[in-house]
Formats: sequence, C-alpha cells, structure tokens
Amino acid sequence: MQKPPVPFTSALNLALDPDPFSADPTRPWAADLLRDCARAFSERDSANLQRLLWMLNELASPYGDREQRLAYAFLQALFCGATASGYHCYTTSLAVAERAISFASTLRLALKFQEAAPWTTFGHVAANGALLQALDAVPAIHIVDVSDTFCTQWPTLLEALASRAEVDAPRIRLTVVASAASAGVMSEIGVRIQKFARLMGVPLEFRAVAAPSSPRFADALRPEELELRDGETVAVNCVSALRRAGNGGSRDAFLRAAAALQPMVVTVVEDEADFAGVGEYAESFEECLRFYGAYFDMLEESFPATSNERLALERESFRSLVGVLACDGRGPDRVGDGERRERGRQWCRRLERCGFKTFGFSDDVVDDLKALLRRYRPGWSLLPAEGDSSGMYLTWKEEPVVWSCAWKPK
Amino acid sequence: MAGVEEAVSKMPPPVPAIKKKRSLPGTPDPEAEVIALSPRTLLATNRFVCEICGKGFQRDQNLQLHRRGHNLPWRLKQRSGDRAAPRKRVYVCPESSCVHHNPGRALGDLTGIKKHYCRKHGEKKWKCEKCSKKYAVQSDWKAHAKTCGTREYRCDCGVVFSRRDSFITHRAFCDALAEESARVSAAYNVTNAASIADSADYLFLQQGLNAKPNPFPHLTPPTQFKPNAASINQLLDMGLVAGASTFYGDLVGPNPSRFNWMQSNKFPLSTSEFSPSALPAASSSSSAVDLTESAPALFAAPSLHHPPAPDMSATALLQKAAQVGVTSRMGFAGSFEPSSYKCQSTADGSKFDGVQFAQNHASMLKDFLGGETRDFLGVGVGLQSLCHSSVNGWI
Repeated sequence: MQKPPVPFTSALNLALDPDPFSADPTRPWAADLLRDCARAFSERDSANLQRLLWMLNELASPYGDREQRLAYAFLQALFCGATASGYHCYTTSLAVAERAISFASTLRLALKFQEAAPWTTFGHVAANGALLQALDAVPAIHIVDVSDTFCTQWPTLLEALASRAEVDAPRIRLTVVASAASAGVMSEIGVRIQKFARLMGVPLEFRAVAAPSSPRFADALRPEELELRDGETVAVNCVSALRRAGNGGSRDAFLRAAAALQPMVVTVVEDEADFAGVGEYAESFEECLRFYGAYFDMLEESFPATSNERLALERESFRSLVGVLACDGRGPDRVGDGERRERGRQWCRRLERCGFKTFGFSDDVVDDLKALLRRYRPGWSLLPAEGDSSGMYLTWKEEPVVWSCAWKPK
Repeated sequence: MAGVEEAVSKMPPPVPAIKKKRSLPGTPDPEAEVIALSPRTLLATNRFVCEICGKGFQRDQNLQLHRRGHNLPWRLKQRSGDRAAPRKRVYVCPESSCVHHNPGRALGDLTGIKKHYCRKHGEKKWKCEKCSKKYAVQSDWKAHAKTCGTREYRCDCGVVFSRRDSFITHRAFCDALAEESARVSAAYNVTNAASIADSADYLFLQQGLNAKPNPFPHLTPPTQFKPNAASINQLLDMGLVAGASTFYGDLVGPNPSRFNWMQSNKFPLSTSEFSPSALPAASSSSSAVDLTESAPALFAAPSLHHPPAPDMSATALLQKAAQVGVTSRMGFAGSFEPSSYKCQSTADGSKFDGVQFAQNHASMLKDFLGGETRDFLGVGVGLQSLCHSSVNGWI
C-alpha cells in the first residue's frame, strides 16, 4: 500500500524515528533536534554540530508555529555559542532594543500582554495584595519599584487604596529603579501615573532612576540614592529584578541592602527557571527547553497568529537565550548574567540568608489570584509553594513558570 | 427570645415637619418607640419562632403564614400577650460610633437595621467568585453576582473592556486622559482661572464651570471632594476625568469624533423629541459661559441658541428640527430610526403632548439599546433614570 509523500519535517522525524510509518507531521520535533545540537556543542563535535545547525536553520522560522519559533530562538543562541560571539550578539541586541524603545510601543506591548495572559498580572496581583495587607493603616508609604513593568502594576493598587472604605488614602512616594534602556520612556510614564493618582485622590510623588549595571546593582538601594525621609514606611517591589543583580555575590548584596532599608514588606516576582548553574551545559540547556518551551507554547495559545506583540516578546527571548547559553559573564558588566534566573526555592534560601522571613499571602489574595486566572483562557492555575520554599507559583499546563512571594525583615 | 433588650423612650423633639416629604434615612417619627437590640439579636437569622413546633423564621410574616398551617382554633390565633394599638417602633444601632446609634437617627424598619448592622459593622461572609468582592448581607451578594462580569467599561478613547482591572490599567495611561486634561485646563484658563487654586484637579472642572447645569448634583464641590468607593466607580466608568464623550461630558470637553456610537449618524433629526422645557435652561447657561474655544460644536446647533416657545407643539418642533442639520452632539437622538418619527409626525399634531413624547422617547431609547437596559456609562443606571436625566440635564 502506497503512503502519500510526507512533508520535510516528517522526513526529519523519519530519520530519527525507528518506526518510519508512525511519523506524524504535527508531533513536536524541535526539542529532540535541539538536544542533539546541544550534545554536539558540549562534545565539541563541530562536524555534527554544523550539520545539525544547518538542518535547524532550514526548519526554523520566527514567523511559523511554536516549534519553528522555538527552534529559531535556540538557533540564535547555539550559533552565537558555536562562534563565540555571545557577548557581541547580546550587547548589540540590547543596543538595538534601547534605540527602538518608545512610550507608545512599550506600553502597548505591556498592556496587550496583560490582556492576553496572566504572566505579568499574576505577579502584580500577588504583590499588590501583599502590599495592601502589610501597609493597611500606614499613612505615608515609599514604594521602591525595582522593575521594568513601566508602572503597569500601580493603577490597580492606587484604585484599591482609594476605594478602601473608612480609611483615607495614604500619601505615596514612588521611586522606580528601571533599567537604563527604559529611562527614556519613564518620564512620560511618570506624568501619566501622577495624573491618574490625582484622579483617584491619592497623593503621589514620582521619581525614576536608572539602575546601575549589575555588579553595582545594590547601589540603587542606598538610602541617599533613594532620598529616604522620616515618617515614611518603605516597601520594596522587585519584579524580575533580583536576577539583574549580577552573580550570586551581587544578588546577596542587593538583598542585604534592601533589608538595611528596614522595609515593612518586600515583594518578589521572578520567572521560575534555574539558569544560574553554569556547570553542565546539557542541564542548563534542558532547563531552557522546559522554560522557553512553556513560554512559547503559552504565547502561541494566548495571542492571535499574526500578533506583533507576540513577535516582540519572542524577540526578547532570543536575547535571553543568548545571555544564558552563549555568554560567560565576560566584561565589566558581566553581560548575560542578568538572564540567569533562579527558582523560587533558591531565592527563598537567599532571602532567608540575607535577613528576611516569609510573609504569607492571605486568603483574600489567593482568592483574588484565582479570580484573576478565571478571567483568562484555560491552561493556567495556581500552585502554592511547599516544603522549604514559600510563595505561590503560576503554572501553564501544570508547568510552574512564575513565582511570587512576600517577605519582611527578620 | 433571649437577648432582646428594650429601651423604651420618647423621641427628642424634632424639627416640625409640615410637609410629608421623603427625609434622610433615620429621621424617625417623634412619637415612635425606640428599640435598642443587641448585636446578637440583629445578626440572628431566625428570630421568629413558632410556639407550636419551634420552627424559626426570618420574618414575622413568614411565621404567621406558617402558623396558619397548624389549623389553630380562632382563640389561639391571637398572639400571646394582649397588645394595645401597637406603637410604631424604630431601631437604633448598637455600635456607639455609628450615626444610627443616636435615637434621632434611628431606622424605622427591623429588616433595615439588621441589614445596616450587618453591612456596616458585621463580618463580610459572602464573597463574589469572579471578583472576590465581599459582602456581609447575602441579598447584596446575590444582587452583585447577577451583574458581575456582565458590565462593560468604556474608555473615552473608545476601547471597551469586559475586565475591570484591564480597564483601570488602560485608563491610567490612556492618551485620552492626558489629552483631555490639557484641553480642559485650557478651558479653565478662559473661564474660571482665578477661582481654581493650585490644586489642578481636572476632575472638578465641571463643578468649576458653575454656569453649567450640573448633571451630577450628588458630587460635592472640589474643596470637599474625597473619592470614596462608590464615586471611584463613577469617576472611572463615567469618564468623568476627561469629561468627554459621555452624555454629560459633552458639556465640558467636546470632541465630536469621540462619540463612537454615533459615528454612523445619518439621521437628519435632532433634539426635537426632548421636552421644550429642557432647552431654555440650557441655552441661558450656554450664553453665560464663554466656552467657544473648547466647545465649538456644542453650541452650534441653532435649536439651542433659539429656545422654542414653551407652548410650541411637538409637531412644530419636529418640523423645525428637520430644517436643521444634526451635529453628532445631538446625535444620540438623531440615531433613532427616522421611520418612527415619520409615523409620529403624520399623526394629528394636536394629539401630541409632552408626556406622549417622553414615553415615545423611552421606548425608542429602549429599542435603540436593543431592548436591554444596557447603560453606556457603566454605572448600572436604570433605564428610567437614564431617560429622566437625559431629558433634564442633557442640553
């Protein structure tokens, strides 16, 4: 019996699969091929690597389906690794992004992502919930926002503070520590968030400062840098910020600096992935496959097929992967270290070591998170941390992808 | 029942009320008997107990209905204890810090005081699944659950949201917000620059321009304004900030293109279906305030500049309006089906009157809204009140 001719991707599977007649063109093919590439790379098998990269290049595309886009993302990182051009590639990519950044495009991207998936809003709701809990009756608050969320976290907090019955809205001072790339748009962001706060009847003072480069990240939290004032209660909000503090030592330094501010609460949101172990390439690679596999899958199911926002988010991932797989912390800025995410469990150990104890989310916050997830497409769920780690995970198809937790000084 | 403490006293002499008009909640009849129930009693759900079988009920009426089922001989139907003509009872709140703790502000209804105590001082046991808003009274929670998630939030820039959190976040950064503040503050400079101090609260510009008919009399003047939970919703939903592109917002910050739902306006008729009495008030105010810089289109319609004589018939108004082009400002009415107008106008004009017109307006409004009480302002305003306010305060 003649079988119809199979498309090329299945031809590839035929080569790898012992049973040729089970070939299924829709079966995920990228992970296996990528693992082969990773093996060839770590074994320094250049002939094989070249062949595999050629194949990868033929199959990958930034405009195709999830498999093709994932393949394309890793292709960049593998190529940079193979040609030892990770440092150059990363810094160029960063410079290009900085030049292209604009208020309108940045905001549109952030808001569209929040509409499509709870990836970022999960952290906002959890952190805001903890802030509201911890700062219940405080009249003057200084929020140190170490993040690149462009203040999209704050409107709902401002509205919640303004709507509290019986209690007047507190005075808020918001100091945003944003990466240098965002500096250009922060002034316009500040104007708008202040207008909105005025509308809400919440007195808000805004200031944006550029984050120092990773080895000196802790400098951002020096009291004189933040211009602390008497009588105000400090809250530190770190969204995808802890990992930007460079390597292990710098991260601890940053956390200690935060503790030294004697904040009422420190809220942390981080991607749930372990890219910090620089040891075995294969292990890091596997972890990248798990995390970015889930990320690209989530993006495919959350956005329409031709979405530009999805493209923009995937492009950011290309840079992250280059940072993780093709950079070795070279240069004074330790380029790429900012991409080395750690898992919640690991952050918990760090935070405890640096003088913090965990501050659990109340039932109300958990209910808010559940209600949040219900507003999106199915596939998302919550997973409370267990054992020696604390906080809450956001999971995509059972895979934990984002971690959030609240802390106070011991 | 245990726990009922009765403090019987006469009311302090009140301000004599000659006319019977609806007063503030908790301004009771001076001759009434003041009852102070304990918190436990107020929170108890089954106060009324049948003496025959011991079954408890929330309301006296329900208990009486139940007792009938026991087929008692007529004698035993009388409640135990011979009561004289019962005095009217009013109830005070046991919470000493509460305004209703004072007998002068007691509430006249037992269910009312129970609900009040529960809502204000009680534990919020009922929680909405969708938005996790909490309620102390079950009926409040049920009422909320019906509308939760069905509301739509419309931003001034035209985008509609089904989720409140997305709406709030969008609103905070929306261009419409930024623009409108700029434009309205320009209007400010023209009119009331002196009277507005350094607190540049764009929000209060409508109140500042005090010649305008104020469609929101419930909002307090700027100096006392503190947004509370209820008004926050109004601020956000009504687009009050930017003051544009809602029914009322047009009075301040006009921008014809913002009226998204009237852009396909192809009907030639304007405001003629509104009762004539609404127009003179508006036009006098319009002439008093010079807003030509910021409100060019608002006063362009001739029907405003020349208020019709009060005794002008509806038919005559229609004919007059037919000569005038419609602006999108008046377009809400204009977007109605012209066929229904034609139908009215061919009828004998003398049979028309203002009442008839208002009724027709209401039904046309309902049709336009697709038969539902969908409110564009997103504040859950009932259809009736929407009509009323639009007739009186719109122009």
